[in-house]
Amino acid sequence: MIELRFHRELYAGTAIDAALVRLADYAQFERAEDGAHFVVRVSAANEKRARKVARELGNFALGLTVEKGGPDR
Amino acid sequence: MSESLFGLSPDAVVADLDEGAVHLRVDAQLYPLEAIYAAAYVFIARCWVLLDKPEPNRIRVTLTAKGAQPSADDLRALVGEFGNELLSSAWRHEITKTNRAMIEAVTMQAFSGAMGPPSLDELAAFDFTDEPFEDPLGIAQSWEDKYKKKPAKEGEP
Repeated sequence: MIELRFHRELYAGTAIDAALVRLADYAQFERAEDGAHFVVRVSAANEKRARKVARELGNFALGLTVEKGGPDR
Repeated sequence: MSESLFGLSPDAVVADLDEGAVHLRVDAQLYPLEAIYAAAYVFIARCWVLLDKPEPNRIRVTLTAKGAQPSADDLRALVGEFGNELLSSAWRHEITKTNRAMIEAVTMQAFSGAMGPPSLDELAAFDFTDEPFEDPLGIAQSWEDKYKKKPAKEGEP
């Protein structure tokens, strides 16, 4: 399982949710919150796949955050 | 294995050759978040990009190269390109901020021009009764109006 931490001041929660929806077919996600971070745990059939999906999730979350103009206000 | 890259401060850049990644610490007071976003967005096609904020006014950018395992030279080049892109984005952001009023004025003129000239009905309905602006000091008055001889009152020489 891979854990990703997205800082609230840098990522939009709505963008992370949208990214999770887009990648839902490729892995299982567990979403949580920890202080200043949104936490997403990614698990898949094997570690290599989970790592790749986690990295793509990071790019999707960042791209969607930038496209919507930054974190949620 | 984390190590500093030759020629680059270990405080600013740390490389992880096993992961094919570099971690950059960016001063958020020097580079606005919009510039960091813009630079990071450019690299999304080539890298996996992750941002974090380990402490106030510091943003950590992690770039992990896609494709073949990168060498230290590849990572150093990646850091250099990101630094250039970051500087360019910050400068564009500054120019946009400085010239915002002018950009808005030009855009407004372009839009109003695109709407075409007013129709005769619109001109006929236009209210010309309002004073164009207040002029308590008489700055907009012509010299002749302001200093013309006043007609002499009766009884005055």
